[in-house]
Amino acid sequence: MDEVLRVRDLHKRFGRGPSAVQANAGVDLDVDAGQVVGLLGHNGAGKSTLVNQVVGLLRPDSGTITLAGVDAVADPDAARRLASVQAQANVPITGLTPRRAVELVGRIRGGRTADVRARTEHLIAALDLGPWANTPAEKVSGGIARLTAFAMTAVVPGRLVVLDEPTNDVDPVRRRLLWSQIRALADDGAAVLLVTHNVREAERVVDHLAVLDQGTVLAAGTPAELTAARSGHLSLEVDLIPGRQPHWPEGSTVVDRGHLRATTTVPAAQAAAAVQWAGDEQSAGRIERYALAPTSLEDVYVDLVATTEEHAA
Amino acid sequence: MSTATLAPVATAQRPLAVRLADSWAQTGLLIQWQLRRSAQSLPLLVLVQILLSVATIAGYGLLVGHPDHLAGLYLATGAPTVALITVGLVMTPQAVSQSRTEGSLDWLRTLPVPRGLFLVADLTVWTLIALPGLVLGIIAGAIRFDADLAPTWWLVPAALIVSLTSAAVGYAMASMLAPTVAQLMSQVLVFVVLLFTPISFPADRMPDWAQNLHAWLPLEPMAQVIRAGLAPHDFTVPGRSWIVLGVWCLAAVVGAGSALRKRG
Ligand SMILES: Nc1ncnc2c1ncn2[C@@H]1O[C@H](COP(=O)(O)OP(=O)(O)O)[C@@H](O)[C@H]1O
Ligand SMILES: [Mg+2]
Repeated sequence: MDEVLRVRDLHKRFGRGPSAVQANAGVDLDVDAGQVVGLLGHNGAGKSTLVNQVVGLLRPDSGTITLAGVDAVADPDAARRLASVQAQANVPITGLTPRRAVELVGRIRGGRTADVRARTEHLIAALDLGPWANTPAEKVSGGIARLTAFAMTAVVPGRLVVLDEPTNDVDPVRRRLLWSQIRALADDGAAVLLVTHNVREAERVVDHLAVLDQGTVLAAGTPAELTAARSGHLSLEVDLIPGRQPHWPEGSTVVDRGHLRATTTVPAAQAAAAVQWAGDEQSAGRIERYALAPTSLEDVYVDLVATTEEHAA
Repeated sequence: MSTATLAPVATAQRPLAVRLADSWAQTGLLIQWQLRRSAQSLPLLVLVQILLSVATIAGYGLLVGHPDHLAGLYLATGAPTVALITVGLVMTPQAVSQSRTEGSLDWLRTLPVPRGLFLVADLTVWTLIALPGLVLGIIAGAIRFDADLAPTWWLVPAALIVSLTSAAVGYAMASMLAPTVAQLMSQVLVFVVLLFTPISFPADRMPDWAQNLHAWLPLEPMAQVIRAGLAPHDFTVPGRSWIVLGVWCLAAVVGAGSALRKRG
């Protein structure tokens, strides 16, 4: 595959002295043409910092960023011509309508008027923005504004398309439409770098994943590779009851997920026994509800991040 | 699922003529973007600008009654100059600060547009906003003070340089200082421009130290070129003033441009 983005040993620190924050501490990342690469990580992991260095809003302390063969650190103008970005913050477009904003940005990005029109109409239809397309921006909801910002990025996509949390505030129905448009960008040949919290939904769309935590890549691979270590295992999810303590089976490792949720891993062969145990606990009034599911990427992700947190603590 | 064809992305190496044509088109589109985004406040801004300029004339009239020929010329040419400078030094930094706070500026900076074009587009917008006030202020001044103004051809480029310089200074100020500091600065500047700059009165009324200070600031040269452009029979522009103004103009444009290019 055609390599589009190549990030090597990227370091970026904010501030000086004891209050300094090492936002990126040696990040490596690759995105090929036709690929959607998901960048996961909780708030403050350094995702946006990485993105902002790729498009030349921030200058790295050290490390290299190569975009379609161009040194993006030395020549940010060239990098910007090769990339289109949906930033984490919404773009203020008061005074415009979603349709106008998308068309204007498409032409500013160098698209031909007729192409931009056609592509705008396509995106408006595909994201079900029609009812809002001619509404003044100050009257549209946060989710519609977010989708508009996506369309402004996708109208004339660069070789690299960077999306920083594109699904925030978007309703579930349109979120599905959005995911399929993100996939379509890659299928049409763009390299897509997708920053998201939404592990569950991203899992179905991404080709490759990198988990970022405290400025470093904790794990990277395909969704299948990342969950491989857990294949043959199921995840037992339990909703706890305040003040009650379930009698966990002998030898199980329990992870507290907060908000009265806990999970434990069960070998697939012992699924029946696990359901029996959970049913008994529920009857005894020690748990509220339970669910048994294949180990998801979210489980892997939460474990990865939780482990480093314990180390850090 | 059908997908509309994607326009090809501009590549880095293109002939100069093509790049110039693209830049021209992009500047037009950026201006369109800025104008549409401020479509609601734009008429008000222009109106305020016109009122400011005309009201300054009326206010001067109340202060001085019926001045002699020369003083009348100073006042009639000074009021529109003040209005023109305030657009650049006050309204521009306020708008830039606002677009920094709301995140517009950072987003614009991710677009594949040469940094210089943002500046050109913004400065054009601010100049357009300033022009109606300038013209109406001149007419009001000529009537109120019975001034025999004879605008020369080079008044147009001179007004553009004044507008460009003050807007670029305002732009640079707002890009480099914290938004709150920039707002405060611009308010102090209105005061200085309105009362403590030899725009509507001769420089020799000021104490020596202030005269020396103004010899190095761009404000007095701005007033001189507008005044001489409007009343060429009574005033001339010292060569030194053109140089001071030119240097400020260049420095401000370079400063604003590099502020736009800066990476954190
Ligand atoms: N401009 C900045 N100045 C100082 N600290 C910053 C700046 N931007 C980000 N940070 C800090 O760097 C860390 C990573 O931030 P960010 O990249 O925004 O994380 P994410 O996008 O993964 O939530 C955070 O601790 C954040 O507070
Ligand atoms: Mg972020």
